[in-house]
Amino acid sequence: MAQEVKERAQLVPSRRSPQQRAAARTGAWLTAPALVLVATFVLFPLGFAIYISLTDWPLVGPYHFVGFTNYANAFHDPQFVHAILFTLTYTGIVTGPIFVVGYGLAVLVRSNRPGAKFFRTVFFLPFVVGLTTVSYMFSLELQPSSGGVDFVLSKLGLVSASQAWTVNYGPALLAISVIVVWFASGLTMLVLMGGMQAVPDELYEAADADGASWWDKERLITLPLIRRPIALSLIISVIGSFLAFNQFFILVQNNSSLETVVEWVYQTAFNQYHLAYGTTMAVLLMVVIAVVSAAQFVLLRERSR
Amino acid sequence: MGRQAPPRGRGSYLYLAAGSGLAFAFALPLLWAVVRSLEPSVLATAAPQAADFTHMTVSNYTGLLGPAEDIGLNLANSVITALGTAALTVVASTLAGYGLSRFRFRGSGLAFGAILVALMIPFQAVLTPLFLELHFFHLLNSLLGLVLVYSTFNLPFGVFVMRNTFAEVPDELADSAHVDGAGPMATLVRVLRPLVVPGMATTAIYAFLYSWNEFLQALTFLTSDNLFTLPVKLFNVEIATYGAVNFGYLSAGVVIAMVPCVALYVALQRYYVRGLISGALKG
Repeated sequence: MAQEVKERAQLVPSRRSPQQRAAARTGAWLTAPALVLVATFVLFPLGFAIYISLTDWPLVGPYHFVGFTNYANAFHDPQFVHAILFTLTYTGIVTGPIFVVGYGLAVLVRSNRPGAKFFRTVFFLPFVVGLTTVSYMFSLELQPSSGGVDFVLSKLGLVSASQAWTVNYGPALLAISVIVVWFASGLTMLVLMGGMQAVPDELYEAADADGASWWDKERLITLPLIRRPIALSLIISVIGSFLAFNQFFILVQNNSSLETVVEWVYQTAFNQYHLAYGTTMAVLLMVVIAVVSAAQFVLLRERSR
Repeated sequence: MGRQAPPRGRGSYLYLAAGSGLAFAFALPLLWAVVRSLEPSVLATAAPQAADFTHMTVSNYTGLLGPAEDIGLNLANSVITALGTAALTVVASTLAGYGLSRFRFRGSGLAFGAILVALMIPFQAVLTPLFLELHFFHLLNSLLGLVLVYSTFNLPFGVFVMRNTFAEVPDELADSAHVDGAGPMATLVRVLRPLVVPGMATTAIYAFLYSWNEFLQALTFLTSDNLFTLPVKLFNVEIATYGAVNFGYLSAGVVIAMVPCVALYVALQRYYVRGLISGALKG
């Protein structure tokens, strides 16, 4: 008899006690505010963006359905293509240095040595201050003649004291890349440090007993065991570069050769009022970021398994 | 879990020297920004001189906060928006984290999935539909609209952190409160709250700093000068919308924008880093 009841309970799991139903209602209500916000301001706009990109939606006035015209036009638009290539170039330039500097900093701060915690705090400070404020700061310091960058570099004899940094392609890309490496390597440092500190001490002790060099330990123990934090830090950094806006928008004026993807979206939709056309790039960006994020997610799942 | 016992002796001094040198190089631009802001405005357009240190002044700050620029209003907008974002994000994330981790209900998997999807969508990708939506709700050019959007984009991370936080609370604790006749909200407020405050702090810091530093959405969704947050106002100071650019004012604005971030981070670093490790690595 008891056996039969148990089987029935397993067969009909949906028949729940009043307490269970009350708990289910409570759980649903508790999750509702977050879900409503996410549905309203993320999920709905997601579908809406795709819809807008298939119309000729202006900032004001009526709109018509135009199919894939915006997409077809976009790929023949030199500025659109240039913004994509420029963003890829920028990503290619900064990703490596951010990783190498971040890794070096992580090696420096991962131990419990006196001072390590303080150094950690300082190296992460630029990231905490934020890219917007950092960009304003360097808009002053990159000024020809009066800026601190020219002051220091001309004293070292590297550039003339009136070098303009934010006008032409080469100097601007160099200056912004260096600023971003300074800004972002602290984040990579913390992500890698988390991974490094999780490596069991015994492995290093065993290697020490075998007389392994520092580099051997790094190469044969640390690197293989922090593969996932490495992949994560690279993905975080690549997504950040794909979405670059503040540093270029604030530091560079009137130079379309330094226009990123997100700047193109902003200028097209909100300065030229081609809302629908601007949205096509946003939709493509969304697809690319979703793919990169999905890769990150797969990595996370593998880790927790 | 630290690595290798701290070595003593010469190696330790070498480490401190190298670390200090590098730390100084990293902090230099930030320290320099403070010095720069204390220079008289005229000197801010000239090459740096040792003599600058002899006539330090707060005139850039008084000028920027005075009637000419009246950045005080923008500062207030930034504070209101950042506090509003932090509050809404913490409340919604805590409730959702509680609901998802301690109650079983149909659709909870779907709800969590929806929040996961949101984690992957950068706001830049939905900037134009958000603009139209806010316009429709009459929330364009409104700090409330900004708070709602900022909070939403902070929610996925917040829900993750809070769900993990609630999952770490021993079941017996919530169950015993339940047996004592406490309802779900009473259990949350009286029994669980002290245990989940660290998670709430992590969520709040991230939301506050996000809002404080956010530029593109504020630039797109706000159109009146008197509603601008600090980053948007500083852009107008930088490109000198209303006349000649005042480098002195901009340098003071940079420091005003920087100080709350640094203070908050240094004071609550533990929660910040904890969030980074648990949020970024454990998911």
